Amino acid sequence: MPLLQVRNITKVFGALIALRDVSFEVNRSEILGLIGPNGAGKSTLFNVISGFHHPDKGKILFKDTQITGLRVDRIAGMGIGRIFQEPTLFMQETVFENVFSGLHRHYREPAWKAFLHTRAANREEAASKKKAAEILEFMDLAAMRDELAANLPHGHQRSLAIAIALACEPELLLLDEPVTGMNPSETAVMSDKIRQIRERGITVLIVEHDMRAVMSLCDRIIVLNLGEKLVEGTPDRIKNDQRVIEAYLGKQVI
Amino acid sequence: MAKNMSPGLFIQLIVNALTIGSIYILMVLGLDIILRGTKILNFAHGQLYALGAYIMFLFFQTLKLDFTLSLILSGVALALVGALSYLGVFAILNRRFTVSSTFSYRLLLSAMASVGLMMILQQGTLLCFGTQELGILSPFPQILEVGDTRISLSRLVIIFLSVAICIILYLMMYRTSFGKLLRAVSYDPEAVTLQGVNTFWIFVACFALGSGLAGLAGGIIAPLFSITPSMGQNIIFITFLVLLVGGIGSYRGTIAGGLLIGLLLSFGFQFLGSAAELIVFMLVIVILIFRPGGLLGEAAE
Amino acid sequence: MKLPNSLKTDRVTRYKWIAIIIVLIALIVLPLCIESNYIKHLLIMACIGAILGMTFSLLFSSGLITLGAAAFYAVGAYSSTVLVMNAGLSFWAALPLTLVFTAILALGFGAVFVRNAGVAFVIITLIFAQVVVLAAAQADFLGGWGGIMGIPRPNPVGTVNFAAKTDYYYLILAMLLLVVLIYNALYSSRIGRAWRAIKLSPKLAGTLGINEYRYRLLAFVIGSTTAALAGCFYAHYSQNITPGAFGGWLSIYVQLYAVLGGLEFYILGPAIGAVVMTFVPEYLRIVKEWEPIITGVILLVVILFFPGGILGTLKNPPALSLNKFHSLYNRLVTGKKRDSNS
Repeated sequence: MPLLQVRNITKVFGALIALRDVSFEVNRSEILGLIGPNGAGKSTLFNVISGFHHPDKGKILFKDTQITGLRVDRIAGMGIGRIFQEPTLFMQETVFENVFSGLHRHYREPAWKAFLHTRAANREEAASKKKAAEILEFMDLAAMRDELAANLPHGHQRSLAIAIALACEPELLLLDEPVTGMNPSETAVMSDKIRQIRERGITVLIVEHDMRAVMSLCDRIIVLNLGEKLVEGTPDRIKNDQRVIEAYLGKQVI
Repeated sequence: MAKNMSPGLFIQLIVNALTIGSIYILMVLGLDIILRGTKILNFAHGQLYALGAYIMFLFFQTLKLDFTLSLILSGVALALVGALSYLGVFAILNRRFTVSSTFSYRLLLSAMASVGLMMILQQGTLLCFGTQELGILSPFPQILEVGDTRISLSRLVIIFLSVAICIILYLMMYRTSFGKLLRAVSYDPEAVTLQGVNTFWIFVACFALGSGLAGLAGGIIAPLFSITPSMGQNIIFITFLVLLVGGIGSYRGTIAGGLLIGLLLSFGFQFLGSAAELIVFMLVIVILIFRPGGLLGEAAE
Repeated sequence: MKLPNSLKTDRVTRYKWIAIIIVLIALIVLPLCIESNYIKHLLIMACIGAILGMTFSLLFSSGLITLGAAAFYAVGAYSSTVLVMNAGLSFWAALPLTLVFTAILALGFGAVFVRNAGVAFVIITLIFAQVVVLAAAQADFLGGWGGIMGIPRPNPVGTVNFAAKTDYYYLILAMLLLVVLIYNALYSSRIGRAWRAIKLSPKLAGTLGINEYRYRLLAFVIGSTTAALAGCFYAHYSQNITPGAFGGWLSIYVQLYAVLGGLEFYILGPAIGAVVMTFVPEYLRIVKEWEPIITGVILLVVILFFPGGILGTLKNPPALSLNKFHSLYNRLVTGKKRDSNS
C-alpha cells in the first residue's frame, strides 16, 4: 500500500489554476522528487498535502485515510512533517529549545499531568531532552545547541528546520528546497543526510531546483509544469524526456 | 420595537442612520488604511476625530473662514498631525523591531504607543480648548419638509460630503499610481521595497491619509453635534466595532458595517433607549459567532 | 518566568532559591512593619494589579493580546457579590462557585473570540469589556450605575475576621502566590512550551501537531478565571463595586503593568509593573491636569526607548546613546529610515 496517494488534486486561486488534476503516489521508504519550472505549483502541492490549503477538487489519502480538508495540526499529528522554503523556526529560542518543542506530539502522559509535574511526566520530559540531543547530533547541530536560531547561518537554519521536523517522528517528510543555494560540498552533505533519514524509515518527498542533487538522490521524480503533472519516472527517464527539457527551456525565455 | 411607527419617524431614523453611519464609515476607512498599510492599530484615531472637530471650530467659528475651506483645512491639519505622529512615534518604534519580532509583539507595542499618544492628544486638546462643550452654528440650519417629515439639511449635507469623500478616496486608491502603491504595501510590503520604493514614506502617507479622514469626519460632524472633550473616547469604541463587524481589510465590509451599525444605533436609541449600545454590542458578538472574519472580511481561517 | 535554560548551573539555581525565600519572607513580614493603612491599601491594590497583569501575560505568552482582563475581573466581583448577598452563601463557598461560573463563561465566549486573529481579538475583547460594564449598569439587580454597596467581608476563618487591612493583605498575598505557583507550573510544562511555539510561529507550531485554537482557548479560560479570582477579592475588600470601576481604562493599565515590567517576564514583569504603577503616581503628586499627559509621555518613553520594560532593560542594557543620536542624524539628513526591520 502506498504511503501517500494524491488523487486528482485541483487548486484554484481566483483566476489562477495552481494545480490541475494532479495524481501520483508515494511509496514507503522511497525518496520522491518533485521538480518543475517556477510557478509549476510545487509549493502549492506541499501546502495542500500538509493542510495549509484545501483543494478544490480531488482527495489525498495518507496510509489509506482521507486527509483532505483536515487541519494542519491534525495532519501533522498523523505523521506528516514538513519544512518550508523560507526559514521557519522559533527564532527567539535556542537550537535545543527549537528541537525540544518539536517533540510535542509524542508525549504519552496527558497535558494536565504535565502541568502537575508528576514523576511520570517529568521522566518523559527527561527522555525527550535526550531524544532532542540525539536529533541534534544526527543533524550535526550539537555544537550550536545554545545558539539562538536567529543567529545561525542560513545552511544551519535549514538543518535546524529539518531537525525540528524529525523531532515529530514523521513517517512522511516533505522537504521544500532543502539544498537550494548551497555549494556543491554542502549539497553533498545534505543529500547524505537525506539518505540517512530514509534509512531511519522515513519516506521523503522533495521539492528542489538543484537538478544534480535531485538526480542523484531521488528514486523517482515527478515533473510538474503549469500546475499539471507532466511526467513521472526514474531520474534516467526524466533526464532525457523531451517534454521536460522543453518545459524548462520554455520557461527560461521569460 | 414599535410596529406602528409613522412614516415620518421612519424616514428621520433612516436619515439619522445614514448620517452617523457615514461618519463611522469615514472613520473606519481611515483606521483601516493605517492598519492595513502599517499594521498599527491606532488608538489615537478617535482623538484625531475630536481634534478635527475642534480645529473646524477654530477655522469656521472663530476665524470665520468659509465652510468648505475650513473643512479642507481641518483635513489637511489632521493629515499633518497624523504624519507627525508617525514620524515622531511609530517610525522610532519600528527601529526596535527586528526580523524575528513576533507579530503580537509589534501589535502590542504599537497599540500601546498609540494609547500613549491618545492620552497626550486628549489632555492637550483639553488644555488648549477648555473643558466646556463648544458649538458651531451650522451653515445649513434649514429644515426640509417632505410630506410629513422634517429633515434637517445639515444631516443631508453630512451624508453628501461623506459620500463625496468616499468617492474621491475610491478614485485615489484605485485609479492613481499612488493609490496602487498604498494598496500594494498593505498586501506585501517586502515586494514593494524590492521594487525600489521607500516604504517609509508610504507609511507616513498612510498615516496622513487615515488621520486626514478622521479629521474630516470630525470637521463634518462639528456643525451638527456639539464638540465635547470626550467625543474622541466615544467614537473610538464604535469605530473599532464597525471595523470588527465589517471585517478588517474589506472596504465593502466597512461600508456595510458602518451602515448596519448606523441603522442599529439609530433605531435602537429610539426604541430601546440607553440599552441600545449594549444590545448592539452583543449583536455584534453574535454575528462574529457565525462569521469569524466579520461580515465581509478575511475569514480567520 | 523565562523557560529554564538548559545551561543553568547549580550555583545559579541555588541563588535563585535563596532570593525567592528572602522575597517571600519579606512579603510576609511586610505589613507588620507598616503603620499606615493607606500604604497597606496600596500594597493590596498592587497585588491585585499583579494578578491581573499576569493574566494578560498568560494570554500574551500564546500570542493573544487581550483587553478583556477588566471584563472577567468584573464578572468575578459581581458574581461573588450576588452569591453572597442574594444567595446567602459564605465568601468561601462563593469563591469556587464564581470561578467555575467564570470558567464556563470564558469557555463559551472564548470559543468565539479566539477564532479571530490578532487585531480582531484585541478589538473584540475590548468590546466585550464594554459589554460587561454596560450590562452591569443596565441590570437593576446589579445596582445599575450606582453599583452595589455594603458588600460583607469574607467570613471569619479562625481568629482572622478581616476587620484589619492586614488580614486582607495576607489573603491577597496567598492568592497571588497561588497564581504564581500555578502559572509557573504551566509555563515550565509542555503546555507553556506549546504556547510559546504558537506565539513565535503559529505556522511552525501547526506542523508540529500543536492545535493553536485549543491551546489559546485554554490560556483564555485560565486567564479569565484568574481575573475573576481577583475580582472576588476586590468586591469583598472594597465592599462596594460600581460598573465604572471596571471600565476600558483598567484593561489598558493591566497591559501597561506587563509592558512596564518586561514582556518577556511573564510572572515577575507584571508584578514589578503593578508595584511601580501603583506606588509611583502616589509619590509624584503632579497637578491633576497634567497627569494624563505625563502618563502618556512615560508610556511613550518606555515603549520607544525601553521596550524591554524594567526587567528587560536590566537584563540587556541598551547600547550607548551615541547610537540613538547617530540614527537620528541619519534620518534627518538622508530622510531615509535605516532599513533592516519590517
